[in-house]
Amino acid sequence: MPLGISPMTIWYPRRPAAQSCIVGCSTMVPMPFTLAEPAAFPLVERILFAALAIASGSLFWRRFGPIFHRILQSKKDADFRLAPVGRRVWDFVSEVLFQSKVIRQRPLPGIAHAFVFWGFCAFALVTLNHCAVGLGIGFLSPEGFFGRFYFCFAAVFALTCAIGILGLFIRRFLVRPRWLGAKLSWESGFIAFLIFFLMATYLAAFFVPAGSTAITVLWWLHTLTLLVFLPIIPHTKHLHLVLSPATVFLSRGSFSRIPPLAGDEDFGLVAGTDLTRLVSLQAYSCVECGRCTEHCPAANTGKTLNPKEIILGLRSYLNEFGPASSEPLLGKHNPPVAPFQCTTCGSCEFQCPVGIEHLPILVGLRRGAVNTGAWDDDHGAKLFLSLERGSNTLGMQAGERDKFIQKQQFPIFDGTQEYCLWLGCMGGYDPKGREIVADFARVMRYLGTTFGVLRKEKCTGDPVRRLGNDLLFQQLAEANLEALAQNKVKKIVTICPHCVRTIQEDWKEYGTPPEVEHHSEFMARHLSRLPRPSQQDSIVYHDPCYLGRYRNVYAEPRTVVSHSGQLLEAERHAERSFCCGAGGGLAFLGEETGERVSHVRAKELVATGAKTIGTACPFCNSMFRDALASSTDTAPQLLDIAQLTARALPQQDTSSAS
Amino acid sequence: MKIVVAIKQVPERDAPVRIDAAGRWIEEADLQWALNESDAYALEEALQLKELHGGEVVVLSAGPERVGSTIREALAKGADRAIHIDCEDLGQRDALGVARLLATAIQPEDPDLVLTGLQSDDLGYGQTGVILAELLNLPHASLILHVEKSDTGITVKRELEEGWFQNIDLPLPAALTIQSGGAKLRYATLMGIKRAKTKEVRRIAAAELSAPPEAAVVLDRIALPQKQKITQVLSGSAQEAAAALVEKLKFEVHAL
Ligand code: SF4
Ligand code: SF4
Repeated sequence: MPLGISPMTIWYPRRPAAQSCIVGCSTMVPMPFTLAEPAAFPLVERILFAALAIASGSLFWRRFGPIFHRILQSKKDADFRLAPVGRRVWDFVSEVLFQSKVIRQRPLPGIAHAFVFWGFCAFALVTLNHCAVGLGIGFLSPEGFFGRFYFCFAAVFALTCAIGILGLFIRRFLVRPRWLGAKLSWESGFIAFLIFFLMATYLAAFFVPAGSTAITVLWWLHTLTLLVFLPIIPHTKHLHLVLSPATVFLSRGSFSRIPPLAGDEDFGLVAGTDLTRLVSLQAYSCVECGRCTEHCPAANTGKTLNPKEIILGLRSYLNEFGPASSEPLLGKHNPPVAPFQCTTCGSCEFQCPVGIEHLPILVGLRRGAVNTGAWDDDHGAKLFLSLERGSNTLGMQAGERDKFIQKQQFPIFDGTQEYCLWLGCMGGYDPKGREIVADFARVMRYLGTTFGVLRKEKCTGDPVRRLGNDLLFQQLAEANLEALAQNKVKKIVTICPHCVRTIQEDWKEYGTPPEVEHHSEFMARHLSRLPRPSQQDSIVYHDPCYLGRYRNVYAEPRTVVSHSGQLLEAERHAERSFCCGAGGGLAFLGEETGERVSHVRAKELVATGAKTIGTACPFCNSMFRDALASSTDTAPQLLDIAQLTARALPQQDTSSAS
Repeated sequence: MKIVVAIKQVPERDAPVRIDAAGRWIEEADLQWALNESDAYALEEALQLKELHGGEVVVLSAGPERVGSTIREALAKGADRAIHIDCEDLGQRDALGVARLLATAIQPEDPDLVLTGLQSDDLGYGQTGVILAELLNLPHASLILHVEKSDTGITVKRELEEGWFQNIDLPLPAALTIQSGGAKLRYATLMGIKRAKTKEVRRIAAAELSAPPEAAVVLDRIALPQKQKITQVLSGSAQEAAAALVEKLKFEVHAL
C-alpha cells in the first residue's frame, strides 16, 4: 500500500460484523441497527481480492513512481535545514492535522474539507481491517469493546465525511466559484462520487442483517471503490493526499524566503536542472483550489499571471521534460511575461493550504531571466542602470537628498544618537515621501528621541531583489552594510516597509544588519505620550503587504490610526489585504496591462466612506495618490500614519533632538 | 569584425566632487567610479555589431588599478577580452598624450573598427577619439548614433543640430566617436560577471608604450561651477508665454 509520506495515506471505510449491539456488552441497551461483517470468504474470493489489490497497488506505483523519481532527481535544496523541527511539527499539527489554514481562510468549504480529511484519518484503521478481513485475518472485531467503539467512532466520521464531500461537490459543480476555473473537472466529480460511495457502503453495513448476501455485496462494492480510487490519485489533484503533508512539513519555513544562489552556475530558475526538490515537490502538491488566484492582484486585474497556473506550468514542465532538462522554464509551459507581473504581495503563498511557496518560485523565475540577461524590458533596464550608476531608484542626483536633509535640519548620524533614521528612496527623493519622513521626524523630536540620518544612503535593493537582479542587489546590500557598520548604527527606524524587510531579512545573506523597525511599531510604543487630534475623522487603514503578510504587523498601525480617528476597515484587510500594485519592482515598470491594481484598491478604500485613507508605506501612498487623482469624485484625504500623528502635535515643536 | 572600444573610468554621476589642495585636480580618495556614459554607448554599439556579424570586441582602458572594475563591467556586458594600460598620471596627460597611449596599444591589434565615446564626463575635451583616429591614420566620423555594416564598409548615422541627422558611408577600417542615447544599454548581469572572471585582461605599463610627452595643454586651475538663479518673466498672452516657456524648457534647460 502506498503509505507515501503521509499519515493520512490509507483511508477509507467500513465494515464490521454481525451483532445486534455495540458499545459495551450484550447486557447493554441493544442498538437499533446491526453491525454486519461478512463471514469468512471462500478461497476464490480471497485470491481474487489479493489479485485485485496487487493490481491496484502496482498501477498506483506505476503512476506515482515516476513522479516520486522526478522529485528526487531534482537538484538538492542547498540551504535546506530540518531544524527547527519543533516549528515543523507545529506547522504540521496545525495546518495538516487541524486544517487550520484550510478552515480559517475559507470557513465553509474549509470545514467540509476538514470533515473529509478527518474521515479519512479515522478510516485508516477501519480500512486496514477491511482489507485484512478479505484475506481472512481481520483484527478488529465488532464483538470486542474496542472494535465496537471504533466502528461507531468511524461511522460518525463517515457521516460527516459524506456530508462534507457532498457539500464540496455542490460547491464545485453547482455554485462554481470563479477561481476554480471555467472548466468543470470530471475527475473531481468522479472522485467525490467514489468518496461518497465509500462512506455510503460503510454506513450501509450497519443496516443489513448479519450473514446476508447483502453484506458480502457491500464489502465487495466498498473494496472495489477503494481499489479504483487508489490508482487515480497520482494523476489527479488528489495527489495532494499523498504529498501535501510532506510539503507542509518540509516548507522553507519563513515567508517569501528567497534561497541564496548555490555556486557559480546557479542563476535562479532557468531550466529544469535548476528546479530543486522543494520546488518539484510543491509543483506536484498543488490541489488546484485556486485560493492563490482568488487573492492575486495580477490575476484579478486582467494580467497574464495566474499563480496557480505558474505552479501547474512547472508541473507540466516536469511531466514533459523532467528535472534534467535544459529546456527553458519560461517558454512552453509558463509565459515569460507572467512572473514579471507579480507584485510580490505574497497573498498566494499566504493562502496556499498545501504549503506551496510561490514567491521563491516567482522570484526564482525572474532571477533566471534577469541574471542571464534574457529579460529585456526598457523600464527594467533603466531601473537597473540607474542603480548601477547612481544611488536611488528614482534616478535622481544624490545631491537632492543632501538638500532635503539640510532643509529639514536632520542631524547626521554620528553614533551618539539612538536611531538611524533611514530615509529610503521615497523618503529621500519623492516629494510625498519626504513629507512623511519630515512628519515622522517631528514625532521623534516631540518625543525627545535622538536620531540621525546617514550622509550617504543607497537604495536597500528591494526592487532589484524582487526583480531577480542578484548582482545589483549584492552590490547595494554590501555598500549599505558597510556604511552602517562604519557609522556604528545599532538601530534603524524607517517609514518604508520594503526597506524594513530588505534590511532585516534579505541583507542577511551578505552580513549582519542592524536592528530595524517600522515607524508604526515605534509610534505604537510611544502613543501614550503623543497628543490626540481634537477632531476624530473616520480613517480607513490600508495594510501594506510588506508590513502585514511579510512582517505580521497588523495591530500597531491600527492603534496609531485609532489614536487619530475612528478606524474603518476595508472589505479586504489585515492578512487578506489587497495590494496597491507597487511591490516587486512594479512601481518602476511602467504601464500595466489590464486594469490598474491601484485603482481597484483605491476604489475599495473609498467605498468605506472614510474621510481619510491611512497608509503606512510611501509606495502605497504614491500609488493611491495617482489613483485618486484620476478618479473624478471628491477623493478622501490620503495621509501616512506619521502624518496622522503629526497633525496633533503643537505647531512649534518645543523639544528637539540633539 | 574585430572592434576595439576605448573606454574611460570617470567619477560616478552622484559622486560629491571636491577640488584637491593644489586646485588642479579633484580629490580622488572617497570617490566612486563608473564607466563614462558615451563610452557605455560605444561598447553597446560594438556588442550589437558583434551579435549581428560575429567577430570580437576588445575593450581598452588607461588608468590606475581601480580601472579594473570598469574593465570587468565591460567584460561582463559581453566584451571578449581587455587591455589595461597601467597609468597613474592620466590626469596630467592631455588629449594628445592619452590618444598616443591608446594608439600604440591598438596598432598591433589591427582592428576593423575603433570606437570611443564622444567625450568624457570628467574632462569633456571631446578630442581624444578624433586625435586617436588621426594617429591611427583611419577615416573617422564623430557624434555617431548608429552603425550599420554595408557591403563596402559601414553606414553611420550622425547627429547634427536640432533633430537633423546625416548618414555617411565609410570604408573599413575606421574610427568613430559615439554619441550617447543611440541605443538601449544593456544591464550588467550576474552571469556576465561570472563569465568575465575567465576572460583575458592584458596589462601593459604606460611606460612601455610611450614616454610621457611634453603636454601641449596643461590644466592650470579647476573650479566648481557657480550656482546661479535667474528669474525671467515671460511677457505676452497666456498662450504666448506658455509657448515661450515650452521653448525654454526644451532648448535652454533641456527639461522636456
Ligand atoms: S505574490 Fe501577489 S501578485 Fe504575485 S502571484 Fe502571488 S498573489 Fe499574485
Ligand atoms: S498553489 Fe496552492 S493555493 Fe494555488 S491552487 Fe495550488 S494548492 Fe491552491
